[in-house]
Amino acid sequence: MKLLALVRMTLRELAAKATIIILAAISTIVLLGLALAVSTSVTQEGTILQLFGQQATPPMPQEELVTAIRSMQAGLAGGLFTGIILFGIFATAGVVPDALEKGTVDLYLSKPIARWELLLGKYLGAVVAIFANVIYFVLGAWVIFGLKCHLWDARILLSAVTITFMFACLYAVVTFLAVVTRNTPISIILVYLYLFIIGSVLQNREGSLYLISENTAFRAVVDGIYYLLPQLSAMRDNGARQLMAQEMDWRPFVQSFLSSALFFFGGAVVLKRRDF
Amino acid sequence: MIAIATEQLSKTYVSGFRGKRRVQALHDLTLSVESGEIFSLLGPNGAGKTTAIKILLSLTRQTEGSATLLGHDVSSPRARAKVGFLPENHRYPGYLTGQQVLRSFGALSGISGVHLRSRAAMLLELVGMKEWGRVKVKRYSKGMMQRLGLAQAMVNDPDVLFLDEPTDGVDPVGRAEIRDVLRDLKTRGKTIFLNSHLLSEVELVSDRVAILDKGRLLKVGTVDELTATGERYHVGLADGLTQAFRTEASAKVMAFVEERNGLVVDVASIPELNAVIDLLRRHGIQIASVTKERSTLEESFLSLIKREVAP
Repeated sequence: MKLLALVRMTLRELAAKATIIILAAISTIVLLGLALAVSTSVTQEGTILQLFGQQATPPMPQEELVTAIRSMQAGLAGGLFTGIILFGIFATAGVVPDALEKGTVDLYLSKPIARWELLLGKYLGAVVAIFANVIYFVLGAWVIFGLKCHLWDARILLSAVTITFMFACLYAVVTFLAVVTRNTPISIILVYLYLFIIGSVLQNREGSLYLISENTAFRAVVDGIYYLLPQLSAMRDNGARQLMAQEMDWRPFVQSFLSSALFFFGGAVVLKRRDF
Repeated sequence: MIAIATEQLSKTYVSGFRGKRRVQALHDLTLSVESGEIFSLLGPNGAGKTTAIKILLSLTRQTEGSATLLGHDVSSPRARAKVGFLPENHRYPGYLTGQQVLRSFGALSGISGVHLRSRAAMLLELVGMKEWGRVKVKRYSKGMMQRLGLAQAMVNDPDVLFLDEPTDGVDPVGRAEIRDVLRDLKTRGKTIFLNSHLLSEVELVSDRVAILDKGRLLKVGTVDELTATGERYHVGLADGLTQAFRTEASAKVMAFVEERNGLVVDVASIPELNAVIDLLRRHGIQIASVTKERSTLEESFLSLIKREVAP
């Protein structure tokens, strides 16, 4: 009940911030664009995929059309993932530092809630807000593809869960950084640093960091750091495979779940030990 | 029943490189506050008042010692189930209305539904904010924020209320209203732990007062005990003193100081006071009143702090 109250307060806080509304507005614009852009037309040779009324593909049999639409959906989901990671982190990174500000944290912690509950409530509130945005976009896209291309494929709906899960993993890192630094800009900078530089370098460690040294201990440390952090790129690739109805590797998801649980736990421990 | 108890509570803040900078904010604080008491903590800036409250609310952890709230260790969230807190410089989200603030923080205390809605409305009326309940907090003045803070602290019908500078920014009428609220809470058996710089306010409502300085407890007692000045009485006179009285009183080594409407006498006992009165009567001087002299809490506080500062 108290956790629910915290989630509700966080949702209200995010709704009051323009950023989350802007995110929803961008989704609406993209969906409108998609609705205007995509359509199919049936000819004697097969079905043609059209973009803005122009023929985008040669006439195809139904199976090929489905593959082409799924590719489009995968591209759209990839774009959504990038958008959510960039804007979503920006919109929600302030949730925890704001709650830990002097004058606000006193009000929360004087209530009969444990510190980890406060952190979890704020974390879940941000994740739920992002999920609402993602599901809005994905449902919209599903309806548009269904109505205009006659493909009612539930796989795209699953991508809402996958994208939110990836955001939740990354947001656990943001939460940890927010508790440690209590500073929104620093948390954002550090997480973007991880996203754009550290994450990529670690994922391609065999072609980059491994070249620094052949020492097995060094490489083990590099591997350890890689597995300690959520594997966003690997999850994104697998998310695309899911949309393309290809076989998925669940290991990055399991590893990222454990990693984010560890980051959240670390944040809770730091918060528990902190004096306000 | 003991509502709040601390046992040799100490807090050292450590900062700087390798924790080289240490500040002892609280030193062996042992206190107990009975249920239904209005207990005030006084002290100059940096005395450790806020640290004590923060430890009691588990916002800060003690370095040594122990503390309980309503029988529970302060580190347990259960200890705060029936506790209300009005912090100093509290910040409510500006996008919420007064009603939403009370409902949100009430829900965090485990209250919900119709009960929470009716309690929020009742509390807004109690603190004189009924008409402002639907207005966003960002439009509130400092005094209104303080009133809302008080309502928020009471939203879960707490048994113990911690108030840090509750009348800060409130006008005199509002202060009197807050005092009435506190007295009403006391009659309903609530315990109030007050931290205020306004000593005249503290004097008006407190049952007992503790004075802290540099983290140490200097004195604790009732307002009467802290403001008593020994056996000093003010004797109000309808007439002025006569020369004959002055001569005889000097001869009998009676210690007194003349004032415009009477005299102040220092005596060792009640019979000695009666001897002064007898002498006045014998000289035909009309007595209008006899009252025991008291200092204000502020005077007692300042004298105690100065004594500590003096080498």
